[in-house]
Amino acid sequence: MSVIARNNVKVSGSGERAMVFAHGFGCDQGMWRHVAPQFRDDFTVVTFDHVGAGGSDTSSYDPEAYATLDGYARDVVAIGSALGIRDGILVGHSVSAMICALASIRAPGMFGTLVMVCPSPRYIDDGDYIGGFSAGDIEDLLLMLAENPLAWSARMGPAIMGNPDRPELGQELADSFCRTDPAIASDFARVTFTGDNRADLPRITARTLILQCRDDIIASERVGDYVHDNVPGSTLVLLDATGHCPNLSAPDAVAAAIRDFL
Amino acid sequence: MDTAAGPTFRGDLMDHAPCGCLLLDADSRILAVNATLAGWLGRSAPDLAGRPAAEMFSIAGRVLLETNLLPLLWLRGRVEEVTLDLSASDGSRIPVLLSADLAGGIDGPGRVIRIVMLKAAARRSFERELIEARAEAERGLRLEKRQGELREQFVAVLGHDLRNPVASIAAAARLLEREPISPQGHEVLRLMKGSVQRMSGLIDNVLDFARNRLGGGIGLDLSNGETLAAVIHQVIEELRAATPDRALRDVVAITHPVRCDVGRIGQLVSNLLGNALTHGDPDHPVTVRAATSAGGGLEVSVANRGAPIDDAVRDRLFDPFVRGGVGGHGKGLGLGLHIASEIAKAHGGTLDVSSAPDETRFTFRMPPR
Repeated sequence: MSVIARNNVKVSGSGERAMVFAHGFGCDQGMWRHVAPQFRDDFTVVTFDHVGAGGSDTSSYDPEAYATLDGYARDVVAIGSALGIRDGILVGHSVSAMICALASIRAPGMFGTLVMVCPSPRYIDDGDYIGGFSAGDIEDLLLMLAENPLAWSARMGPAIMGNPDRPELGQELADSFCRTDPAIASDFARVTFTGDNRADLPRITARTLILQCRDDIIASERVGDYVHDNVPGSTLVLLDATGHCPNLSAPDAVAAAIRDFL
Repeated sequence: MDTAAGPTFRGDLMDHAPCGCLLLDADSRILAVNATLAGWLGRSAPDLAGRPAAEMFSIAGRVLLETNLLPLLWLRGRVEEVTLDLSASDGSRIPVLLSADLAGGIDGPGRVIRIVMLKAAARRSFERELIEARAEAERGLRLEKRQGELREQFVAVLGHDLRNPVASIAAAARLLEREPISPQGHEVLRLMKGSVQRMSGLIDNVLDFARNRLGGGIGLDLSNGETLAAVIHQVIEELRAATPDRALRDVVAITHPVRCDVGRIGQLVSNLLGNALTHGDPDHPVTVRAATSAGGGLEVSVANRGAPIDDAVRDRLFDPFVRGGVGGHGKGLGLGLHIASEIAKAHGGTLDVSSAPDETRFTFRMPPR
């Protein structure tokens, strides 16, 4: 199966440079639906689903291959190769901020610019480092995900929504938002929330923008500062937005900050 | 007013109904909370106003809220039947079932989130038990499968290792035949060779069975059947030599080319004949018929007289380890018919049985291709 089909890659827009948007844990490329289209006039816009999420091919999932974020980073590079991307822009949200950082380290010529939206290199506290969660919190979370199949089952996307205001949405798309394979989501949660990629931050050579929100309980401002301090030459922007998903709650602010940086 | 106040919609239902009600603003801060939910949390409604909604959930609940529920709300306008834990002021957890929507839809002006919650402790423990039971069952299944594989591997290795000594005995018997020995000695040798042949057949069947169970299937080495007649005759002659007191008739007419594994068809004939000689009435002959038809069809049947096959046995006749009913001699492992039917299947053919007091007949049919 081609990587394009495996990761449900969608390409739109036109432009010399490609912008690749990577979604985080818990959702799919739908996360970018209010941001990515704003760049179509100037860039070739690429969105995709990580294996296990959205419209990806879940049969391609191999627990060993995806036991670390590197496995997901390999996929991002494979997508870039398949599309022949040179000096592209990688935009990653949440855990994908780190996945994209790893991809840019693997293929610096492919991705020369990196945008990390609400990044965290490590979610569990470690000595002086405050990730925001204790190891017990994360075990709790993993147990909760394991026993909360309803949150992850296909039943989350029943045909309940009409969108008369937004006919372009289409029923099919609305139904599939954040559809996630429960077993893979459990694994992905473990990989995401128990990982430690702090040592990778100084290895980032891409031109890097960090977008941070207020009141983000997943990736606090303190974590944002840590990333800023450890990624050489990075730029940190505090958005006028709250929570962990500014790409949905404040898409225009996210798009404006990215545009300013580019 | 002096009229006694009756139940009111707002006070009695919205505020004190046995469900938690919650309004949040676009930043997920609490706009309003009903008395029931405030009571569950051990807080007062005015205290909660303006606080981030995430605070009322367990840490795991907060992560799920931020990474999945809120995104879904922004994208779809509603989420239903999500199980989360509230975290009360005394540190206790309260499992709830939550549904939420965006007032006015995903493009509504206010972006106000409406949430209702029901306590779901019993349901949660039931779900937890289900998950544990499933994990337990999966563990058991894996263990069983592994042990089953080990057994099959043991059988395969055992069968393979038994072949060498049996081959040695066969070679020794052939050497002895050339020595000057008494007529009684020749009779003993003949019996020995019969036993060796039977043992070889049993080992072949055991090996095939184990391989089949290990996923190898019955492998076929296909040819156009030039040697088919010779192989069938050889099988019949070997059994004739081993059982000289039994009448064995054969009608073999291989007149057309047949695409088949000659060795496997020989094994099938050997298994069916061995079965007939074991279970058939010794006072009546066993008859082997083999015929081909144009286009590569093949039909082989083995018939004997004797007690008909018991109905209860008949249904499972081609299952492994099924041995002749009460009247049977209890010889063999009960693999012969199973392997014969697997060989038939591998050839795209069928193995059928008819059994009546005057005749029991096994028929292998391979249709023309």
